[in-house]
Amino acid sequence: MMVNSARRYSPITALDEALAWAIALLLSISLVMVYSASIAYAEADAGTHNRYFYLMRHVLFMAVGLGVAYGVFQFPTAFWQKNAGRVFLIGLVLLILVLIPGIGKVVNGSRRWISLVVFNLQPSEIMKFATVIYAADYTVRKSHKLHSLKEGFAPMFMAMVAVAFLLLREPDFGALMVVMTIAMGILFLGGINLRIFSGLAVMAVTAVVLLIVLSPYRLKRVLGFMDPWDDPYGKGYQLSHSLIAFGRGEWFGVGLGASVEKLFYLPEAHTDFIMAVIAEEFGFAGICLIVGLYAWLVRRAFHIGMEARKLERYYPSLLAQGVGIWLGIQVFFNIGVNMGLLPTKGLTLPLMSFGGSAMVMNLAAVALLLRVDWENRRIMRGYKV
Amino acid sequence: MRAYSLNQRTPPASPALRMTPGRVKCVLLVLGVLFLALIGRAVYLQVVQQDFLLNQGEARFRRALVLEANRGVITDRNGEPLALSSPVQTIWASPADMEPVPPAKLRELARLLEMSPADIAAKLSDRKREFVYLKRQISPELAERVVGLGIPGIAKQQEYRRFYPAGEVTAHLIGFTGVDGKGQEGVELAREKMLAGKNGRRVVLKDRRGHIIEDVAAIESPKNGQTLTLSIDHRIQYLAYRELKAAVEENKAKAGSVIVLDGRSGEVLAMANVPSYNPNNRKELDLERRRNRAVIDQFEPGSTMKPFPVAMAIEARKVTPHTWMDTRPYMIGPATVRDTHSQPSMDVTTIIQKSSNVGASKMALMFPPETMWQFYDAVGFGRGPQSGFPGEASGRLRNWKSWRPIEQATMSFGYGVSVSLLQLARAYTIFTDDGQLLPVSFTRLNGAMPGKQLIRPETARQMREMMMTVTQAGGTATRAQVLGFNVAGKSGTARKLVNGSYAANKHVGLFVGLAPATRPRLIVAVMVDEPTGGSYYGGTVAGPAFANIMAGSLRILGVEPDAPSNNTLLPVSDMPEVREET
Repeated sequence: MMVNSARRYSPITALDEALAWAIALLLSISLVMVYSASIAYAEADAGTHNRYFYLMRHVLFMAVGLGVAYGVFQFPTAFWQKNAGRVFLIGLVLLILVLIPGIGKVVNGSRRWISLVVFNLQPSEIMKFATVIYAADYTVRKSHKLHSLKEGFAPMFMAMVAVAFLLLREPDFGALMVVMTIAMGILFLGGINLRIFSGLAVMAVTAVVLLIVLSPYRLKRVLGFMDPWDDPYGKGYQLSHSLIAFGRGEWFGVGLGASVEKLFYLPEAHTDFIMAVIAEEFGFAGICLIVGLYAWLVRRAFHIGMEARKLERYYPSLLAQGVGIWLGIQVFFNIGVNMGLLPTKGLTLPLMSFGGSAMVMNLAAVALLLRVDWENRRIMRGYKV
Repeated sequence: MRAYSLNQRTPPASPALRMTPGRVKCVLLVLGVLFLALIGRAVYLQVVQQDFLLNQGEARFRRALVLEANRGVITDRNGEPLALSSPVQTIWASPADMEPVPPAKLRELARLLEMSPADIAAKLSDRKREFVYLKRQISPELAERVVGLGIPGIAKQQEYRRFYPAGEVTAHLIGFTGVDGKGQEGVELAREKMLAGKNGRRVVLKDRRGHIIEDVAAIESPKNGQTLTLSIDHRIQYLAYRELKAAVEENKAKAGSVIVLDGRSGEVLAMANVPSYNPNNRKELDLERRRNRAVIDQFEPGSTMKPFPVAMAIEARKVTPHTWMDTRPYMIGPATVRDTHSQPSMDVTTIIQKSSNVGASKMALMFPPETMWQFYDAVGFGRGPQSGFPGEASGRLRNWKSWRPIEQATMSFGYGVSVSLLQLARAYTIFTDDGQLLPVSFTRLNGAMPGKQLIRPETARQMREMMMTVTQAGGTATRAQVLGFNVAGKSGTARKLVNGSYAANKHVGLFVGLAPATRPRLIVAVMVDEPTGGSYYGGTVAGPAFANIMAGSLRILGVEPDAPSNNTLLPVSDMPEVREET
């Protein structure tokens, strides 16, 4: 009885502590690994000459992200549902703005950033967030029409085509894949007619194949991925070095800070290829820990969603599961790219890689998750949201 | 909220019915499978592909650095350096790590390296290469200025360059090293192992910009080469080369060689050849100049061979220096043995002094071929002198079983047998004090090596007395006299074999002698190849060079004169040339 009474007195507004700790753990690992992976570049770069250059910015982004997350947490999920259309519209406007020369900044041939003096905003990251908000609302709103191709499916399809068109103009193929997966995943969970879904899936795969084959730049990446050892100093350079990092890691890694690949061999070691550095320094054990943490996070997101579902809170349910799909698929894409399972895309590892917009939006997404859970707990205990 | 809370009228459309747990499980299953695929792939990379990936990694980061051992110094017997290594720098570039060089910097680089900007641009054009030599072996100061230009991707590397202070004087003796630092000729080649030392090794991981990250194996430090002290005396070497060169020029000869041996220890005090070359600058080096003739070339020694059959006859007590012999021409089968300046009879001393073919051959024919072969073989004809010098000739002495009598006769005066100058000079060591044949050595010895007793000391003394008459009035080599010293020697003039027959106008002029004759210290052997400046007789073409080298060497070594009263040289210019038999 003591146990029961103890539970009764626990604060009823508690966060999901395990989830919060898992996120804190990922962020801590991120701080250490971004520093480890960026130290050589930061120190050698003539423009910075400061080994803490990336770490300091990373800490700053994380702080901003936690602030934004705190803000997001304050809004009830109903707020997002009410403003879903507006959020999606803001995302679309930003995607259009970034394409305008003078506003959008070009890095490595892609126009993906809007320069805000102190900080480069990446609209595609905002679009991922907006897609979760909007797709969940759409699915709930149109749930009674989801068996209909014309009424249930066509509006969302048109919205997604617009997003796809804008993302491909940047181009940001990786973001497109994530956005599409989130949208289709939420539609699927929301109960879309299976025939429509299958048709959509076939169309999506066809479109992806066509996009790859018709673009020399993407085709090159795919070919480099098929056999990185065919041209390890050209097309396969980055991937071959990433694979070497995995191989060097063995069971327990070469030890923190001892990665050789991060010493100018592996490009983007602190952003898209941070997993390779983790693999090299912590080996298979490190990979299992990281993948395990993400798996737990995703499973938790779906659990929160199912709890909401049991409470007949359909929108928060889809919101939580949408966040789960987002994190899950992006983790898979990123680590898959690092390991040579998938062609190079230019996606960060959520909550881990260096990158301001991604970090802020990922933290905003987990704030949504925590908010849904918090609301679930309150409702279960009979409080109002 | 409006969408789901109020729409009760069409139950099938309720989200509650559409959002089935089955679909959630389905999505979770897909994500789970994808995550398991990641773990599976990690296992594959770390188990199946691990060796391959580790090797690929090592091929990219792991570098074995050579820690170059400093090559040993070669010195003469008194420590004077004859070959040493000085540090130089090599400029190299890694085009793969370079950005395009601004034209002004490129011009400056070209000016410093004394290359054309186009040449440099061409060398840097292959942007995949990570190592290109721009210029090798330049001075450290210049290298410092090149690196000081601050062009990324251009670096210097320390190397050693071999320097030979004595240049052409010791060229054949010392030899030289190739670009790889390995000995190619001469002592540099012969003693490669000792001089080279052992390069050290460091295995490191390097980052992509070439910085060393860490050592991945124990550092093997280099073992420097040892100092090699030669038996050469550089003062005598200079003298010998200078006099030889003068003799070759004066006699318009094709080539010449000289060897100075210490008659007591068998050490080589000097060895020189003309023509020579500058080992510090071998840009145009033809094989003719590069040949170490004194050791490699073999020739028929002519009359310089005669002391050996005579010594054999005296040793066997078949004759004494004063035994009179019939020296009229005589027939062996269809061939006649004759002297150009024939005399009906001579004593053995005169046979040496006048270099009589008839007398020498008659003494040789007192012995069966086998005995004569054994003696020639014992003094080292037909076998390598074991000097350790690369490519040394062993000469040619045919097996006695195939000797015909006329051949045995001609071999007594140096035809039908060929030797190198080194072999010939060494053979003369039996005429020093104790009648021992000494091994020759190019490295300094701390005492004489044990020799091989071939003739009695008394025989050796008698031979020297007879050979002293060669440089005295009436001898064939009066020009080989040395002021204050008695010189025992023998001249030789041999026709050269050209395509199997003896040429009428190609000769080798030789003089081999010992001094002081009463207690020999030095043996000097001089060969002048194809003299065309008038006389070609050994006494005339090689004698003066011998005299100058012998006189200078004895003075350098501070040898006490054994004929202090002999303070005038015979006026050789007035005297008729006493020509030996060819």
